[in-house]
Amino acid sequence: MRIKSSILVLVSVLLLVGLCPRPAGAAPYEGYTYSYWGDAVQSPIAYLPSRAISGLEAGTGAWNVPGDLFVSAEGLLYVLDSGNGRIVVLDKEWNTLRVIEGFRNGEKKDSFNNPEGLFVTDAGRIYVADTENRRLVELDGTGTFVREIGAPKADVIGAGFEYFPRKVIVDKAGRIYVVGRGVYEGLIEFDSDGQFTGFMGTNKVQFDPVDLFWKSVSTKEQREKMVQFIPLEFNNVDVDEDGFIYTTTVDKKTFSPVKRLNPSGIDVLRVSSEIPPIGDLSLDRSAFIDIDVTGNGVYRALDTTRGRVFTYNEDGKLLYVIGQLGSQLGTFKNPAAVESYENALYVLDRDLGRITEFTVTQFGSMVNEANTLYSSGKHDEAAKLWREVLKLDANYEMAYVGIGKSLLRQGEYKQAMTYLKLGNDREYYSKALGKYRREYMRDHFSIYMTGMIAVLLGGYVIVRLVKRPRKGGRVQDAVS
Amino acid sequence: MPFLKDIKYSLHVAVHPFDGFWDLKYENKGKLRMALGILIALTVTMIVKRQYVGYVVNYNHPLALNSINELKYIIFPFLLWCLANWSLTTLMDGEGKFAEIVITTGYALLPLILINIPNILLSNVITLREASFYHLLDALATLWFVWLLFIGTMTVHQYTVLKTITTMLLTLAVVAIIIFLGLLFFNLIQQIVSFVYTVYQELSIRG
Repeated sequence: MRIKSSILVLVSVLLLVGLCPRPAGAAPYEGYTYSYWGDAVQSPIAYLPSRAISGLEAGTGAWNVPGDLFVSAEGLLYVLDSGNGRIVVLDKEWNTLRVIEGFRNGEKKDSFNNPEGLFVTDAGRIYVADTENRRLVELDGTGTFVREIGAPKADVIGAGFEYFPRKVIVDKAGRIYVVGRGVYEGLIEFDSDGQFTGFMGTNKVQFDPVDLFWKSVSTKEQREKMVQFIPLEFNNVDVDEDGFIYTTTVDKKTFSPVKRLNPSGIDVLRVSSEIPPIGDLSLDRSAFIDIDVTGNGVYRALDTTRGRVFTYNEDGKLLYVIGQLGSQLGTFKNPAAVESYENALYVLDRDLGRITEFTVTQFGSMVNEANTLYSSGKHDEAAKLWREVLKLDANYEMAYVGIGKSLLRQGEYKQAMTYLKLGNDREYYSKALGKYRREYMRDHFSIYMTGMIAVLLGGYVIVRLVKRPRKGGRVQDAVS
Repeated sequence: MPFLKDIKYSLHVAVHPFDGFWDLKYENKGKLRMALGILIALTVTMIVKRQYVGYVVNYNHPLALNSINELKYIIFPFLLWCLANWSLTTLMDGEGKFAEIVITTGYALLPLILINIPNILLSNVITLREASFYHLLDALATLWFVWLLFIGTMTVHQYTVLKTITTMLLTLAVVAIIIFLGLLFFNLIQQIVSFVYTVYQELSIRG
């Protein structure tokens, strides 16, 4: 009997263990965010790798140094297989739809030469930055040649200008923006007819005061050998639904590697967080190589230093970090491009010639949804989700701020103060404090006023009582 | 009560520095224990300030607070200042004795306590917009302290205004030199200790 029951217990325990969900430790990387103080704090993982595909598995032969990836509005994956000079189009189930190897350019057969950038418009037009051929190529959805746009021609461009387009985007109005190799004047802008219209959004020149000092004391010959103070080139670009252009710069020193350019080329990226969107806060800083704007002002930047994808909201607050360099599923060797579509995220690995798909976890989708509600001003709905987020991650500061703001709007000032303090939002804490103070004084005015009058009266009486005998004493002294 | 009298006198010094410091030197009204008491009270005030100042003006990382640091940043500089001032003024015909310098500096610290305590209370009910009042009071406390220190140094050593200013600036330089020498000294000691230890290790392992 005892043996029987113990076997039963054992079986049920084994069953329970088997039914339990896989522990989070099975993920190939750790989830973390940065606290207000710049400390990395653990956080649940927002996206987990679900599957990966390489050229062989797609049936197209191995991809050779793929340079760019694009997910169209319908969810089709466009892979730019740079080494083989072709475009591979996959559908949602990762079946190969089309392979664009070349195209008919007028009479002759033409093909790409080491292209690095790819963009697909909503209408399905494919734009390729055909780097070594020094031109942009526009194809329609089936891969038929439409036109090519050569090097920009204008008086402002010097004779020694080397045109190697690396990345390309097209905004809603059909304007084309190109990132050129070694072009530090900014983005090269073409109008919809392919006419060069100018440069936009130059990075600021960065220099070291120490370098400036040495430059000022050195001779002309020495100076010529020194590094010139020139602005850094952009290395990647994306466009959001409102037509704002997001750019990245590989520079481990700058505090603005991500820029959001308005149509006049001015950086309008909102950074209300204490820590600007710079990736990791370690000594060896992150170097962003690609950026992906997903809507609601949320953008993801891909870091090559540690192979991580940092997701920021429109305020420049870090939402979550995923990925890592490594050799497991979900880690990368040399990540080149990041894209997202609905609840999935795709990272292209240049060296492995592979795309990894990440799907959102419960935590990730709650954060995404809460952030969407939050940024559209629906604080009360967002607060409900933020509370769920806090159940999974009590370190998540944005959730505290979100709940705090909602409570502030509901008039729960005292509670709002607690939450805003936990979320380290001094501005809104101060607002809540001001409101709470007014409310508190309105309720307790009579007590404080009575107390004050009592203290004043009491003080006056005491002073009178203390002073009188002293006067008397002095009189007595004088008499004696 | 002598203690109450001491407190009353120290308050008198804070508001009437010329008169007060004169009495301190020539009427022996200043007490060393009172000066040290003020120093300790200031240290406590500073610790309380770090910890309990209102959230809107408190930018301290709660995990980085360490009361030992406050001792290091208040008592140590105080002693350094007194020592540097004394060493300097003996060479510059200052009339002050070491005890007098300690007492003067100690009494000059009083405004920091006087302003800081109400300021801490105030900071807990102000909003971000009113935070400038907090910073103003903070700055006033420092100015008042420097003013008292200036008058005190002038009175104790019987200097002219210009000479007092020079002395105070030179004192800061001397403080820097003392710190430098101290670091050098400890570094050398460390080298010697590690040398001796290495020799010992060598011998013990070979033996």
